[in-house]
Amino acid sequence: MITAGIDVGSLSTDAVLLRDGEVLAYSIVNTGAQARAAAERAFEEVLEKAGISLSEVDTVVATGYGRMSVPFADGQVTEISCHGRGSAFLNPEVRTVIDIGGQDSKVIRLDGQGNVIDFLMNDKCAAGTGRFLEVMADRLELSVAGLGNEDLKAERAAEISSMCTVFAESEVISLIARGVPRPEIVRGLHRSIAERTAGMANRLGVMPRVMMTGGVAKNPGVVRALSEKLGAEIVVPPEPQIVGALGAALIARKKRSGKA
Amino acid sequence: MDLNRTIQNLLKDRDRWGKVLSSPLSYRIVEGALVLARKSFPWQAIYQMSRFALNQTGRAYTGKVPVVWSSAFFPVEIAWGLQLCPFSPEVAAGFITGMGFGAEALSMGEEAGYSRDLCSFHRCIAGAARAGHLPRPAALLASTHLCDGAPLLFQNMAELYGAPCFILDVPYTAGRDAEAYVAEQLERLWQDLAEATGRRPDRASLEEALRHSNEFRENMLRANELRCRVPSPISGNDMLAFIYLFFAGQGSREAAEISACLAEEIEEKIAGGRWGGTEKYRLLWLHLKPYYSNEVMSFIEQAGGVLAYEEFNHIYWPPLDPGEPFLSLARKVLAHFDYKPVEERIRVIRELAEKYRVDGIVHFSHHGCRQSTGGSLILKEALQEAGWPVLLLDGDCLDGRNEAAGGMLTRLQAFFEILEERKEGCLI
Repeated sequence: MITAGIDVGSLSTDAVLLRDGEVLAYSIVNTGAQARAAAERAFEEVLEKAGISLSEVDTVVATGYGRMSVPFADGQVTEISCHGRGSAFLNPEVRTVIDIGGQDSKVIRLDGQGNVIDFLMNDKCAAGTGRFLEVMADRLELSVAGLGNEDLKAERAAEISSMCTVFAESEVISLIARGVPRPEIVRGLHRSIAERTAGMANRLGVMPRVMMTGGVAKNPGVVRALSEKLGAEIVVPPEPQIVGALGAALIARKKRSGKA
Repeated sequence: MDLNRTIQNLLKDRDRWGKVLSSPLSYRIVEGALVLARKSFPWQAIYQMSRFALNQTGRAYTGKVPVVWSSAFFPVEIAWGLQLCPFSPEVAAGFITGMGFGAEALSMGEEAGYSRDLCSFHRCIAGAARAGHLPRPAALLASTHLCDGAPLLFQNMAELYGAPCFILDVPYTAGRDAEAYVAEQLERLWQDLAEATGRRPDRASLEEALRHSNEFRENMLRANELRCRVPSPISGNDMLAFIYLFFAGQGSREAAEISACLAEEIEEKIAGGRWGGTEKYRLLWLHLKPYYSNEVMSFIEQAGGVLAYEEFNHIYWPPLDPGEPFLSLARKVLAHFDYKPVEERIRVIRELAEKYRVDGIVHFSHHGCRQSTGGSLILKEALQEAGWPVLLLDGDCLDGRNEAAGGMLTRLQAFFEILEERKEGCLI
């Protein structure tokens, strides 16, 4: 049985193909201005990578904020359930999932069977999201992918007290003007994100093991800062950006077998 | 005829609101639209209540009877007992928002200096009042319990209109001393209000108001008992419309009659076997709902969710004694389970969750409502420990300018997925 999960996020759209519980292929494309077109591109790309045709896919489940814009999906499930499912599949010991996506962040608590038992979601404010890092990377003339390495060069963290993206950017401008080394500013920004995210995680209650998913988990600076703040080890899967799509593909498998 | 559109057309020229709202012709037009739309009402009790609300609004704006503004939890029987015209500005704010004028009223309130951190009901009232859109009160009545912003807003409004404001100070701890203290205030307030509005303080009239209030209580208890049936015989979204009677109608003959009609209609529906449908998720709904858009309630309905019961429709007070009007109204005010340490709210909500056999509990955390949201984390933890999934749904009843509907719907859908997992086992 082949199933697919498509996660239409604000910054990236990710697709995963599963055959009998094994990942066949995945793709990550930019969402851009058209969620539906992005979903189609991600799906075409993952089919091509796996070398299979559309007709061979049994069920497709869409997730993410653009989940309703995937006309070829057989069902829509929230990213909360999908990140939970994907994380539990990758590591059954995971009890807390922290997903920092492009425009929101979530903390998800799982029971021992991989069921979501509670969650919190911040989508009110860009602070502590991928968008926050994008704005700051742009201001610092870095790529988002380059932020993690820049953090590793820092000897200390610059103090950034604002959590608001706009005010934090003003602080960054002041720090640049004062000649504070760029790596220190980057580490300060990562601590700011960690502060915000840890607050939300502690509100829900953090149970080990903790897994971090979403594009921001690729940034080792954020992961380290968050781990220090929480006082807990954080597991990061090899490709954290596709965990939502993986969860959707797993749920598609269940939906399909339920029908059979 | 589309009733909402009729009202919106009447009110589309904001500069003429004062004239439109104080003209008897406007009420005749809307009443005509109401009568024509009668059959489209899901419940005749809601139709009757709409006519009652329209009639009361007309009385308030046309100024034939002294109007008293009454805050949400003030024992409005006092005003009915003096044959005054009670006006609930909180309900008016919900109506203004439902008609699509909320954002403008909120902006006007903010321009007048009301902080965005204040409850949007109060900002909306302040804005609409300053624009001259609300009926001029002869007096204002506010209590200090539950909603601590209301007495302060009402004092501001009293200054704006140059009208007296009567504040009922309700102690947090109930008991005989508290009952005597509140009863004494109510008696004095009743006399002072009569004097301020040129009414004779007639005990017989007050006693009659209490009898009507008791009938309302009995009828709502009957309706609420009938709502224990599974599937639910009436939608909770429809039931939330009766908030008007709770806030402005208790003590009126009409509230007694409308609630009787409601209970009878539910009874008839059950007896006729004319109800049913699939209920995927039975919910207990705490606090109110968004009035600026119906998206949340529609989503719940489409997903197979039902509001099996709502905290705001709960009858929590003992019957009133018309022979002891002030003491029994004091007992009623002091009996509110939300105006006590949070353990009492937990106890009541647990009882309701069991009685109405709900699958989950949604607390709509209205921004600015400290009394409800302040204890919500403790409430959530206690209810989760008792076995119910709980969603704290952050939002605002009136201010949709800072709300992303997508986020709210995602939270609700994820909550439903949790409920589904509990019913059907793991999704994978």
